[in-house]
Amino acid sequence: MDTVLKVEELGKCYPGFALENVTFSLQRNRIMGLIGKNGAGKSTTLKCILNMVHPEKGSVTMFGKDFFQNEKACKERVGVVFGGVDFYPLKKLSSITAVTKRFYEKWDSIQYERYLKLFSLDENKRFKELSNGMKVKYLLTLALSHHARLLILDEPTSGLDPVSRDELLHIFRKIVSSEDCAILFSTHITSDLDRCADDITYIKDGKVLESGDKNAFFQSFVHLKTPEDQGVLTLEDIMLRTERGDWDETAG
Amino acid sequence: MKLLAKELRLTLHPSSAVFAFLGCLVMVPAYPYSVIFMFGCLAPYITFVNARETNDFFYTAALPVTKRESVGGKCLLVASLQLFQLLFSVPFVLLRGMLQIPNNPVGIDATLAWYGFGLILYGIFDLVFLTGFYKSGYKVGKAFLVASVPMVLLMAGMEAIPHIPVLSWLDSTQKEYLIGQLPILLLGLACFCICLMLAYRISAKRFEKVNL
Repeated sequence: MDTVLKVEELGKCYPGFALENVTFSLQRNRIMGLIGKNGAGKSTTLKCILNMVHPEKGSVTMFGKDFFQNEKACKERVGVVFGGVDFYPLKKLSSITAVTKRFYEKWDSIQYERYLKLFSLDENKRFKELSNGMKVKYLLTLALSHHARLLILDEPTSGLDPVSRDELLHIFRKIVSSEDCAILFSTHITSDLDRCADDITYIKDGKVLESGDKNAFFQSFVHLKTPEDQGVLTLEDIMLRTERGDWDETAG
Repeated sequence: MKLLAKELRLTLHPSSAVFAFLGCLVMVPAYPYSVIFMFGCLAPYITFVNARETNDFFYTAALPVTKRESVGGKCLLVASLQLFQLLFSVPFVLLRGMLQIPNNPVGIDATLAWYGFGLILYGIFDLVFLTGFYKSGYKVGKAFLVASVPMVLLMAGMEAIPHIPVLSWLDSTQKEYLIGQLPILLLGLACFCICLMLAYRISAKRFEKVNL
């Protein structure tokens, strides 16, 4: 079973915004980046996948099982990180860990200690005392300590300085090569994906514009090239030119 | 049980824990004892505010639990706080009897009927508060305001009892009257259990439709 996550025809309507027929799939040991501008529907997609937002249509298959029918079993093998969200800011990491580990049958205390050391995390610190980068590292530690096979990360690099971002991206690459794990992460920072994604899914106004292997993804936007462009388009070029088309039409 | 442990360790606000110990206020010779129940209603309110502000609902949603189970955990926490408060008050009521402290001149005394009325108050408050809160998953203040209407009315009714001669037996701690009050206690227990069960079912159904 190589497909870790398969999202098909996912849909959700809000007043003024709709997520329409979102479809993509993620293979094991790969990193998929979900890009799109703010409000494009990246977080809604991730929340729909996790049933935090109730999708009106579509299906999510995780590890070969229907997620909505097997929510608990699937979540046992999923790690979730919400960037920029403070969980229990006044609680010590040791307290949060003590509670969290009881929920996972496959909790591995040795692995937990290993990642604590690797990330230089002090369990006696309170959550709010951690820097944004350290918060993401702590949540990753929790996810990896129960041997998650899929990490779903919502804007994990937002608000981080370039050094911390680079370090985290390096960690992501290390995780997929050393653990049996795939990563799906949303971001609007295109350079993150240039550096570490294997696959890219581009969401625009609630719809998937393109999804697939990074090379194929770049190929599909070749029509955006102009005679002045010397090399290949960067992800930022692709995003800007695609979104700018809308502004031009609006202005016209 | 692990959900209750999570609620107690991560979600419970310290002041809510203090309120749960205020069952000891029955030792105060002259005091409106119905206020003790108000503390028992404030405890879940403060804890739910704390849960919202510490992103507890997000965190729980990422754990291997369903939305229905997460509602169950919160219901269990509310019931535990309120029942603990009532149980904690029992030794103080007994001590009060041993010390022969005279009947509470302010309002209803800590009789079996008082416990029964308290359980009815808790049951109705929880039903309105929990189902109101889980409509949105974040409007705690509104849910508390709505639930505090029956709470205040029941408190007022409870305190009025000693001033109505025909009901004065409900305010007595004498043995023959206490036996007569026993059905009210049992009725209170039944009401509390039924209301909480209903609150759980309705809340779970509502929370499944909530978008976090």
